[in-house]
Amino acid sequence: MYFSDLGTIALILALGFAVLAMLVAIIGSTHRTPTLSLALVASAKRSVLMVALCLFLASFALVASFLTHDFGVRYVSDHSSLSMPWYYTTSAFYGGQEGSLLYWGVMLSVFSAIFVFTSRRASATLVPYVIVTLMAIETFLLIVLTSISNPFVRLAGAAPANGAGLNPVLMDPGMLVHPPTLLMGYMSFSIPFAFAIAALVTGKLDSEWLRSIRRWTLAAWSIQTAGLVLGAWWAYHVLGWGGYWGWDPVENAALLPWLTATAFLHSTMVQERRGMLKVWNLFLVIASFALSIFGTFIVRSGIISSVHSFAYSAIGPFFLVFLGLIIAVSTGLFLYRLPKLKPEQEFNSVVSREGVFLLNNLLLIGIMFATLWGTIFPLLSVAIRKQTMTVGPPFYNKVNGPLFILLILAMGIGPLLAWRRTALRALWRNLCIPALLAALCAVILPLVGITDVVANIGFSVCAFTLGAILYELWRGTLVRHAHGEPYPVALYMLFNRYRQRYGGYIVHLGLALLACGVIGSHFFQQQKDVVLKSGQETTIAGNRLVYYGNIDDKQSDAEIITSQVQIWRDGHLQQYIYPGRTFYHASDQPVSQISITSIGLNDFYVVLEDFKGPGQATLRIFVNPLTTLVWYGGLLMLIGGITCWWPERRKAVSSQRAARPAPAKEVLV
Amino acid sequence: MKNVSVGDDAARPVTGVHIRRGQNRAIPILLIGTVLLIAALWAYMAFRASTQQTLDQHVQTIGAQLKCPVCQGESVADSPSDRAQQMRGIIRQKLQAGASDQQILQFFSDRYGEQIVWSPQWWGFSLLTWVVPIVLLLGGLMLIYFTLRDWRTSVIGATTQPVKKAPQMDAIVGEEDALAGVDAVELAEYRVQLERELGAEDVLFRRRASNARQKGGA
Repeated sequence: MYFSDLGTIALILALGFAVLAMLVAIIGSTHRTPTLSLALVASAKRSVLMVALCLFLASFALVASFLTHDFGVRYVSDHSSLSMPWYYTTSAFYGGQEGSLLYWGVMLSVFSAIFVFTSRRASATLVPYVIVTLMAIETFLLIVLTSISNPFVRLAGAAPANGAGLNPVLMDPGMLVHPPTLLMGYMSFSIPFAFAIAALVTGKLDSEWLRSIRRWTLAAWSIQTAGLVLGAWWAYHVLGWGGYWGWDPVENAALLPWLTATAFLHSTMVQERRGMLKVWNLFLVIASFALSIFGTFIVRSGIISSVHSFAYSAIGPFFLVFLGLIIAVSTGLFLYRLPKLKPEQEFNSVVSREGVFLLNNLLLIGIMFATLWGTIFPLLSVAIRKQTMTVGPPFYNKVNGPLFILLILAMGIGPLLAWRRTALRALWRNLCIPALLAALCAVILPLVGITDVVANIGFSVCAFTLGAILYELWRGTLVRHAHGEPYPVALYMLFNRYRQRYGGYIVHLGLALLACGVIGSHFFQQQKDVVLKSGQETTIAGNRLVYYGNIDDKQSDAEIITSQVQIWRDGHLQQYIYPGRTFYHASDQPVSQISITSIGLNDFYVVLEDFKGPGQATLRIFVNPLTTLVWYGGLLMLIGGITCWWPERRKAVSSQRAARPAPAKEVLV
Repeated sequence: MKNVSVGDDAARPVTGVHIRRGQNRAIPILLIGTVLLIAALWAYMAFRASTQQTLDQHVQTIGAQLKCPVCQGESVADSPSDRAQQMRGIIRQKLQAGASDQQILQFFSDRYGEQIVWSPQWWGFSLLTWVVPIVLLLGGLMLIYFTLRDWRTSVIGATTQPVKKAPQMDAIVGEEDALAGVDAVELAEYRVQLERELGAEDVLFRRRASNARQKGGA
């Protein structure tokens, strides 16, 4: 008996338990007797946990097959080899399509298990329907996994002595974190989706429901944010074209659910406060999940050409059918429930936070639609007029760029507006300082030599928003300080007590920084291609790069050529850099070892394009200004997302604790 | 502002508002002026950039809209390949011969097939790429406008409950008069707004707010 047999058995068992959980939950939810109904739901919950256990067993079996180099398993022999280090061998788990599907299944079961453990907090009528929805998705994945895409299928003949190895592009530290995070992000949208379906079935969309779905969406949003930033980082470090985001169809597909989830997180606040936009919010949740399935379909089916071409397979049609099913079921439920989803309160003024949230939603959905449209338009072109065409970065930059700038502007104005209606006088005063900052920025930039008007607009808007958020933070701190807290404590308490509000500000700060990074690296990137002989040098952006020949390093599984280059500025040696190229014996496709050095706010991005003997190299040099801000901004967004999401139980305890000494302080006041 | 005594303010809140009316008009004018000034600066920069575009820059703008046929995901403007260099040469010649941007793009499109044009063109079928998102965006804007208008007309007369914030505010102003360098009334307004929003969630703040209200009443 091999580990792979264990894996297949575990998958089949998991499928059984998933179907069981679904059926028991349906019966439990419709049963008249309350005690029996409770017992049935409890047993459905246990089945959900069993699914998770079985899938853990299956993934253990797959990891074991990899680590024991059981090349009799086709998936193992296709995606690993004896010479790979153990961590890439383990991460080959999701290096191919069968494995990443299994990873999805595991992640979904983990999320479902977490839901089961925390289900006491959700309202009891919703629980069975959430379980049914989650297990329906799980059943779909398991059917695919046990039928056409089983990672444990064994080769017909004798096991080969060695495997084919992983695609060399995937043998990068980024591979260890980017795909699992993004795949997890895709899957995490299934829980909000399940909540939405449950709410549509039961017609129960109260504040409790809203709180649950919001927290799950925040979690999903944070994971997806991490996945997107890591993906950009991985592309920057591995692909060697000097950028981090190319509007590739697969990148777009990952961005789409993120955009709808972001829109949802904003418009739920309107529902939370004012009881409006219920239908719209449900639509956004369902769209997020449908788009993440669409994303998988795009990646897996290979109908659109992309840099992620290593993941093509025949399961595209399955996902298309599944996608159709999701849309059909959701639409049906929608039409059935529409009369119940009436808004509770009415709208007062356009100049209010609700108004800006509506604008925010329009912009986010606009970006989402433009991106989706650009992604699928070449398909339409082929289908309608039999003519291939390309929709490239210029299109997305032209359409989405202005929308993003408007979004960032709205981000600055939104927090300054009150709910319901804003006194215009207060608004004018609040706008003063950020507007002044923006004006200063707009005037100073041309003086220091930045004459590009679009970049100027972008930077000024970012300055406005950064100013508005920091001003808001400062004033919040001031308010607490007036309550007798020293400034640092006051700032900390703001974040500690009003996580959602101030966590949101951190996210906004992060996005504004990220935007600065994008503008800087998009408009002011410098590029140079040079052929250098030992001792020769080249100049770029006021820096001298001196080349000192190549080093040839022969290793057991690969040969690595590295160029030695020095960066000089103002007569001082800044850094030694070693751009290189790795030739794996198992693959005929060399991989660039890109050298990225941050000096100040500039990234020196050097790629060894070609070499001749020990003394000649063709170097491709980029100077990318402000790119570091993209990573810091992304990190800040993630921190903000987690701040918003972080459980609030500690808050309740600490506020009780704070309430007790309060009377003593009041005497002082 | 500083010469308005706080005691005065607490006794007759109307006075405070009255005195501020002069500023009230100045700030929007200043703000709109600033925005207009920035806009003028941007317009000037855009105008200068468009008139001063060198031949090199023009070649780059056209090259950026063409996909390098032998590279992966790079434009003709960025690619170091020989083919892209040749193509840049052709663009330069055609520009010197007086061809328009569209003619040049059409030339390459005829020669290499339409997929070489990276940015969909504003004519023919590919016009739809641009028009559909823009039309939908405008449609969305209209939808929001009409929705807002509907919501507003349906509530006119129904609401407009007076917001009882004056007593609270004045009490806080009374506490705050020692706060140097800050506009006391503005700060208090902001505090009331912030505390009303945050008070819903936080015991500490609710106590403070109610406490303040009692004081104000007394």
